[in-house]
Amino acid sequence: MIRDIITYAVNNLRNRKMRSWLTVLSILIGIAAIFTLVSFGQGLSSYVNGLASKMGTDKIIALSSKSLTSGINEELFFTQDEVNLLGKVKGVAELSPNYLKGVQVTKDKKVVYSFGIGMSTGKDRRLVEEVFTVDIIRGRALKTGDRNKVVLGYNYLVPDKIFKKPVKVGDKLDINGRLFEVVGFFDELGNPSDDRNVYFTYAGFESLFPDLKDRYYQIIMRSSADTVPATVAARAKEKLRKYRGLKEGEENFDIQTFEQALQTFTSIITVINSILLLIALVSLIIAGVNIMNTMYTAVLERTKEIGIMKAVGAQNKDILVIVVVESSLLGVIGGIIGVMLGWGISSLGGKIAAGAGYALLSPVFPLWLILGCIFFGGGIGALAGYFPARSASRLRPVDSLRYE
Amino acid sequence: MSKTNKDILIRLQNVWKTYTMGANKVHALRNMNFEAKRGEFVAIMGPSGSGKSTMVNLVGCLDIPTKGEIFLKHQNIAHLSESKLAQIRGQTIGFIFQQFNLIPTISALENVMLPMTFQNMVRSEREKRAAKLLDLVGLGDRLHHRPTELSGGQQQRVAIARSLSNDPELILADEPTGNLDSKTGVNVMSFLEKLNREQGKTIVMVTHDEKLSHIAERVAHLMDGQIINETRPTAKERRQSFLHSGLAPKESSISKKS
Repeated sequence: MIRDIITYAVNNLRNRKMRSWLTVLSILIGIAAIFTLVSFGQGLSSYVNGLASKMGTDKIIALSSKSLTSGINEELFFTQDEVNLLGKVKGVAELSPNYLKGVQVTKDKKVVYSFGIGMSTGKDRRLVEEVFTVDIIRGRALKTGDRNKVVLGYNYLVPDKIFKKPVKVGDKLDINGRLFEVVGFFDELGNPSDDRNVYFTYAGFESLFPDLKDRYYQIIMRSSADTVPATVAARAKEKLRKYRGLKEGEENFDIQTFEQALQTFTSIITVINSILLLIALVSLIIAGVNIMNTMYTAVLERTKEIGIMKAVGAQNKDILVIVVVESSLLGVIGGIIGVMLGWGISSLGGKIAAGAGYALLSPVFPLWLILGCIFFGGGIGALAGYFPARSASRLRPVDSLRYE
Repeated sequence: MSKTNKDILIRLQNVWKTYTMGANKVHALRNMNFEAKRGEFVAIMGPSGSGKSTMVNLVGCLDIPTKGEIFLKHQNIAHLSESKLAQIRGQTIGFIFQQFNLIPTISALENVMLPMTFQNMVRSEREKRAAKLLDLVGLGDRLHHRPTELSGGQQQRVAIARSLSNDPELILADEPTGNLDSKTGVNVMSFLEKLNREQGKTIVMVTHDEKLSHIAERVAHLMDGQIINETRPTAKERRQSFLHSGLAPKESSISKKS
């Protein structure tokens, strides 16, 4: 029987092609929007999760500003004494401080601005590389004594990204008026700001910015294996707060585990994503009203047909099912086309984002999302069709047969 | 089913049907009493507004009376739920309407299959039976045509095939020839007559064509919602009716259902 009902519903939808397509259009837009948003959201969260698992859960970061999002204030940079202090906190196994300052890079008369980072060349260098999950993909890492040498971010390797011609190992770059030799490149991080960083040795950085000697922007720490990283972070935070003579809650720095930092980032993304999803849901409610309107009209037009079906033995529930199947079909078709459209938009958007250096904005298409969107479309169709269906099923056969 | 088994199939007992139109009450049926036996062919005659269609709608479970009792196969149907009435309509009654009332978006075959669909008969069986019924009414080569692609007479024959699809005991025909030219109307009447004679179907037919009504065994005359008299066409009248309609009682191709 369900096969007959579906055939009949398809026939009816075909008989009012224009109206059916317009209704489908209204629902597919909402589904496509939801699919796109969720696919990006999922992509982002899988990127973040991948990051977290790669960098390990034992890392702690001390930032010389209140949070990741507040600006850079050189006044608040950590001193060498503070670095030593943090090194002595119970549970901190090792630590590696970083310099940071904006630099001006010139090549072939083109000037670009990026961040110069002074990093350790010792054993603790691995700590920085682990946190930023980067490996050298070309050339070599910096060594102690590389005073006039730099390692560059990935984007310097890409033609037209930073410079027209890609930079090669062995090239000499003008950085703030001094020539530095490029000895290697880090792998892609996935965001355009970090992928254009310039990495110096401590000595190299200090020679360029003598004022910033022993003034560190951030410190990466690793907690020892037998401790809880969050406890160690809290302990370090308290110690530094007391050292700086600040009250609790008035810290002008931040120390947290990387997991916590990522969670903050993820929750911001989740909020933004939720707001966008809400808007998409509103559009789906409108689509639902549209389906309801279409089905009310369809029921009215087919009053006589419903009367005929009742005369030949259709029960109220049969009519209910017929109308609900028809409206669900509208929803399912909208869902399928919406998923296809959303897939297209996401893939295209992902490619554009990757081209712009935001490889972290790469959508994923899990099966549950695809099926979920299609079922959701069908569900909205069914729900919107229920009320017209109920009023159709309650038509009295004698009246509907008389309807012209 | 034998015509000798003359037990009562339909009984209307003090039936009233009243419509409220604004402040006025209109009595479509007033205290009507009527009986039809199994295998009978009854014609309902009367001017428009006399209550013919109301009566057929009540017998056909399409409507319920305001007052009184209606028995169909000894079951009181006056107070049944809509779903129960739908079951009876689907299993016991076949309808033939003046307007044919076929569903325009589906084929002749699917129209005939429709009543069986609601009885949850398996598709292959439905298809086979519908094709057989359409063949019976001479439309074996029109199975996949939509109603709009068929002439009025052909549409009414599809409707007859549909009315037979669940092998009902009772066929209710409301002005079945009203929308047909006389020749086609005659053709349709011949089917009904054969159905009654050869398959023993009980037929209640509304008509306002007096001559056509003489094909029936019994004619109930309605006026103002009441049966004013009942007549039985004489053998001569029936013969004349057949002559008038060009029908001579003859061996039919309609075979009894197995």
